[in-house]
Amino acid sequence: MVQNASELMLMLLADARLPTGAHTQSAGLEPALNAGMPITDVPRYIRTRLRTVARVEAGTAVVTRHLCLSAGPSGGPADLAAMLAEVQRAWAARTISPALRETAVLLGRGYLRLAGRLWPESVPVRALTDAGRGGSPCRAVVLGAVAAETGLSGAQLARLIGYDEAQTIAAAALKLAALDPVSASQWVLGVLGEVDTLVAATADLTAIDEIPATGAPLVEEWAQIHTTAAMRLFRA
Amino acid sequence: MTDPVTTPSAAPAEVPAGTRSLRLGIAGPVGTGKSSLIALICRELADELSLGVITNDIYTDEDARFLRAAGVLDPERIRAVETGACPHTAIRDDVTANLIAVEDMEADFAPVDVVLVESGGDNLTATFSPALVDAQIFVLDVAGGGDVARKGGPGIGRADLLVVNKTDLAPYVGVDVPQMIADGQAAREGRPVLGLSRLDRASIDQLTGWVRSMLAAHRAGTHTPVDPGPMAPHFHLEDGVEHAHSHAGEAGMVHEHSHAEGGHSHTHSHP
Ligand SMILES: Nc1nc2c(ncn2[C@@H]2O[C@H](COP(=O)(O)OP(=O)(O)O)[C@@H](O)[C@H]2O)c(=O)[nH]1
Ligand SMILES: [Mg+2]
Repeated sequence: MVQNASELMLMLLADARLPTGAHTQSAGLEPALNAGMPITDVPRYIRTRLRTVARVEAGTAVVTRHLCLSAGPSGGPADLAAMLAEVQRAWAARTISPALRETAVLLGRGYLRLAGRLWPESVPVRALTDAGRGGSPCRAVVLGAVAAETGLSGAQLARLIGYDEAQTIAAAALKLAALDPVSASQWVLGVLGEVDTLVAATADLTAIDEIPATGAPLVEEWAQIHTTAAMRLFRA
Repeated sequence: MTDPVTTPSAAPAEVPAGTRSLRLGIAGPVGTGKSSLIALICRELADELSLGVITNDIYTDEDARFLRAAGVLDPERIRAVETGACPHTAIRDDVTANLIAVEDMEADFAPVDVVLVESGGDNLTATFSPALVDAQIFVLDVAGGGDVARKGGPGIGRADLLVVNKTDLAPYVGVDVPQMIADGQAAREGRPVLGLSRLDRASIDQLTGWVRSMLAAHRAGTHTPVDPGPMAPHFHLEDGVEHAHSHAGEAGMVHEHSHAEGGHSHTHSHP
């Protein structure tokens, strides 16, 4: 038995070296800069994401995790799959722009591809891989299932999503603007309190109806514009 | 999760073996003619084979647009993958985005015979992981200098085919093509080397002949995907001796690799 397994699992999942295709993502930063947002606004941009779209993601993931764990030993992958489809619908209703949804589904495929290889016997993971024929789950739903499988708490899961949001944006900024790499780390440090707030707001959610509906219209619009932009460095 | 709003494109869980294409990687330094070679293969084979192309340009859709403009393949079958300025990562350390693109191509145009994946390579060290491609071509050109083939590296040494491109330019750049090809052969322990020029019909036929035979071997199950190896230095399994090469200063790459038996561990930084 590995000591502090969930802590180590959290590190593994938060590691940029995890092969899920995350290096193709800027969490909307490239579209934002293309739309004229100054690079000095990046810290505020991260904060805004943490208060809006990331909250939808975290809530969706946490509720997914809860349902996976409370499904009990009787509920097989098929029952669970139907329940998770409900979560996905709730998430989609809160994620207005098709571009954001497509990106989240693409990322979900990346995570699910990895999870299916790492935990092929997992009921939550199989519930999603089996449903893969009809459609792919979004990243938040996949992460919720992975959290259930790997023993992450709701708080750890929400923290993972908040932290990943901040790091994705900060790391992408280094590819998009002339910056001292240390400032990227400073930005992440600077929003850790905001990550805590996100965790507090979402970690204990259990019901689908409780998933926050806090989309950000401008982020959605920029994401949409990016799908037809030329010379993209990042997918989204 | 059958809601069409939620899922714009259905994801193939696993592509059935019969519809699985030959995934062919094209690597090599910028400007050696990877996109042109892909255009050539499409022009020559699109009538007889079902083809798809995935590009990995740094500024994503340059290559895809060039290929679409070439008019040699249905534009829908040419797709660009964004690499987040990490073209090496996208074909080696984390092939997820490319694999998804390949699988979507195979699903959308089933059955696809060959999917060509162009790397956004920027130096001699990048090669494809066998997790992404079944076989790979490494492209050099005479204009890059006659001694490049001798310098070796994983792609030159161990790609399934080494192409020495633009042989028509040899007289203008003072390169001895037979010597360059001989150097390549010496670095490759018998693996094939092809001198190619889009102006040389015989060489084009050799290229398409190689693609056809690779496809036949892939279908017959007689071809085993080979990993040319990480970016270098490498551990030679053949002689059991560990070599530590230093490539610092080469195109801005810094490597520090130690390779245990069968496993690889590396730290590297790239621009
Ligand atoms: N002379 C000559 N030029 C070639 C040949 N193949 C490609 N080129 C040229 O080499 C340049 C770079 O080709 P490209 O395919 O874009 O290279 P890539 O960066 O490796 O994809 C272009 O100007 C091509 O027209 C060839 O066989 N002969
Ligand atoms: Mg090219």
